[in-house]
Amino acid sequence: MQITSAMPIAEMVGANRLVLGNGIVHVVGDAKVSVDEEKGIRRQLVQKALKALQRDDD
Amino acid sequence: MRAVHYLNQFFGGLGGEEKAGAPLEVHTGAAGPGKLLEQLLGSNAEIVTTLICGDNYAVENQQSIVSAVLEKVREANADLFVAGPCFQSGRYGMAAGSLCSAVQAKLGIPVIAGMAQENPGADLYRDTLFIIDSGDNAAKMRDVMNRMATLAKKLLAKEAVGLPKEEGYIPRGLIRDHFVEKTAAERLVEMVLAKVKDEPFESEMIPTAFAPVPMPPGVKDLQKAKLMLITDGGLVPKGNPDRIQSSAATRWGSYTIKDRADLRSEDYEISHGGYDPQFVRQDPNRLVPLDVMRELEQEGVIGELYDEFISTSGLANPLSNTRRMGREMAEKAKRLGIDAIILTST
Amino acid sequence: MQLTLAIHPITEIRFGENTRLDGTVLVTAKDELYRLASQVPGIESVDFEIVCPGESCRAGPIFDIVEPRAKAPGGSPDWPGILGAPQTAGSGTTHVLNGAAVTLLREESPGESRGVTGFVLEMSGEAASASHYAQLNHLIIIPHSKPSLPVHAQQKAYRLAQLQIAVHLARAALDTTPELTQQFDLSAAENLTASPRVAYVGQIFSRQRKPEADEPILYGTDTEGMLPTLLHPNEWLDGALVPSYHTSLGGAETYFYQNHPVIAELYRRHQARELNFAGTVATIASADNLDRERNTRFAAHLVKWALKADAAVLTKFGGGVPHTDLAETARLLECNGIKTAVQVTDLARDRRVESALLFNFPVVNAIVCIGGNSTQWKLPAVERVIAANSALAELLAGPFEIDSHNVIGVANQQGASRLRSMVY
Repeated sequence: MQITSAMPIAEMVGANRLVLGNGIVHVVGDAKVSVDEEKGIRRQLVQKALKALQRDDD
Repeated sequence: MRAVHYLNQFFGGLGGEEKAGAPLEVHTGAAGPGKLLEQLLGSNAEIVTTLICGDNYAVENQQSIVSAVLEKVREANADLFVAGPCFQSGRYGMAAGSLCSAVQAKLGIPVIAGMAQENPGADLYRDTLFIIDSGDNAAKMRDVMNRMATLAKKLLAKEAVGLPKEEGYIPRGLIRDHFVEKTAAERLVEMVLAKVKDEPFESEMIPTAFAPVPMPPGVKDLQKAKLMLITDGGLVPKGNPDRIQSSAATRWGSYTIKDRADLRSEDYEISHGGYDPQFVRQDPNRLVPLDVMRELEQEGVIGELYDEFISTSGLANPLSNTRRMGREMAEKAKRLGIDAIILTST
Repeated sequence: MQLTLAIHPITEIRFGENTRLDGTVLVTAKDELYRLASQVPGIESVDFEIVCPGESCRAGPIFDIVEPRAKAPGGSPDWPGILGAPQTAGSGTTHVLNGAAVTLLREESPGESRGVTGFVLEMSGEAASASHYAQLNHLIIIPHSKPSLPVHAQQKAYRLAQLQIAVHLARAALDTTPELTQQFDLSAAENLTASPRVAYVGQIFSRQRKPEADEPILYGTDTEGMLPTLLHPNEWLDGALVPSYHTSLGGAETYFYQNHPVIAELYRRHQARELNFAGTVATIASADNLDRERNTRFAAHLVKWALKADAAVLTKFGGGVPHTDLAETARLLECNGIKTAVQVTDLARDRRVESALLFNFPVVNAIVCIGGNSTQWKLPAVERVIAANSALAELLAGPFEIDSHNVIGVANQQGASRLRSMVY
């Protein structure tokens, strides 16, 4: 599956499993929050990704 | 001029669908529609060998018939290789495309195929081969063979090949600029007037419809699954050992993360010109989430994280590169028994 | 609003004792021009050259090309917002020195954004035959700006010097009877109810770059914060607009605002009663997704509700981001029942059609593609190279290879290009 902040392109080329990332410059990060908070955000995104991998529908 | 012709079981006269499993046969001289082709190629042309193979056999034994055909074409000392026309027959078209492709690449002689635009062989091979658009009506054989023969003669004479409409081949998708009489302004207004009046018009560019990618079924048991991380954000080890280009990259690399709990900023650099790299430089896990994946691996949420992550740069990268690289990465993942991939993109 | 163009054909430019029109010969005095240019803040000194069509000559990097035109008294002002008060452009009589151009050179290579040579004016050979500019007589201005002038001041000096000289030259024609006159007037529209109403939507800037401080684009404003706006076609033709200084946003020159190909064609067809020229919208390519949603909707609504158009033609100003804005605006128009045709450049770096368009909207299916990435020329060594310094002159001397879109006038985005992408 793909984690990306540029959804329209991913959709256009037909990617099936997509999760919206947290910005182009830190797709699974966040420079504006504390290190711990950031780790939490990253974990959440990856868990979303894992959920997407398990799905059978679009 | 010596030519070799490839036909399937039906056009080769072996029989219908019941003969689709027939293995590759070698005939001296022209057979079936090849006789017409030979005529149209001219008096100094001869089809020295006709290769006939059942559609199913060809598809199921692709590797071996490619080698066998290459050998036969070499033996025949051929100047030209022709496959089909296949019309709408999909297995035939795929075989024809793959054989023409191999002959072109390995033997460097002109190759021509013929098939309908919708033939899956056309879709896969149109950008590297000249495939005459045969339509799906085999009754048009003479007309189709004529175009195949004409284009073949041009290729042999190394003459410039004209536009798809002129020569009758399926557009290969290569762009060339021409100077025309009318300015862009004139063409714009003319086109919009036709459109608004519901009259036919010809657009100068067709948007590519991306064929839908079939979705594989979801991972059944995540706790047993082997995952791999891939990124197109251009994260590479310091020194960029594989010299992955920052834009229009033609290469990708696979980098060890064995026994690492996370990615350290001093070990990596960024080869990508399309985003501000400072945040990922500070903490590469913001692009390739190794730290979190390791935790999830230790917690047993996923079975295993593969020992390497794959990386390239997606910036300004034409499909001609990325299609190939994607395929190569997928092949590697399949070989390693990877169950699922997380691709992180900038 | 009626605009009359008084056309004076020019077949030659010559240096002489004063500025005057001698039949079709434009005579001008170097010291007069020198005095004019030196008054512009930031200009330390300036040189002038004359170049004619067919000469083995090359000049560059080009800043801009302007057609010498001057307003007759009683109409709108010359270059409102830049040389004068920002009153609405496009009415009264404008005298045009047709066949002449005032062309200003840059003193530095634009570098990565445009390739080291920047835009090159080529006066003979294969490349020249593809550009309208090779058919004109050019007065070339070679500026020498004061050292360590900030970029915005230097570019502003270029802009002012060029426009002032262009106006000054054309003033020589004010009392001369023109060879012909052309009227630009939409008031006859009432009789065209049966014809389709067609609008023009043209981008005039792209927010991929910030304008320079004090950079004039639309009536002297820099377009910051601008939302798409209605303009009468005459405003484009008569001094409301100049292109941005930034070379990366290429393919537009003042000359083709003055002689706007799309507007000229829409006017021609309007006068031939084949369509009803509904008007124009000036728009800007966006800084980000939110900006794009806002701008494209504003533009589409102006076309639908203010211009009540049945169809629209669209052009862009720049590369990929403007391309995206263009496609999105066209899509919205189509969704509103307005048929569109768009002019794009070929964005593929690998000459493959699948990489050429970054959009795939089935409704945006009328596309004029002026290519650009597939054509290169080997430019020969020429007899005369005009540049601001010897380093640039050496760079331009040739032979060297150039992308077609770096030869000025070839890949013009205002509709002048005769390039067309063909798919093989």
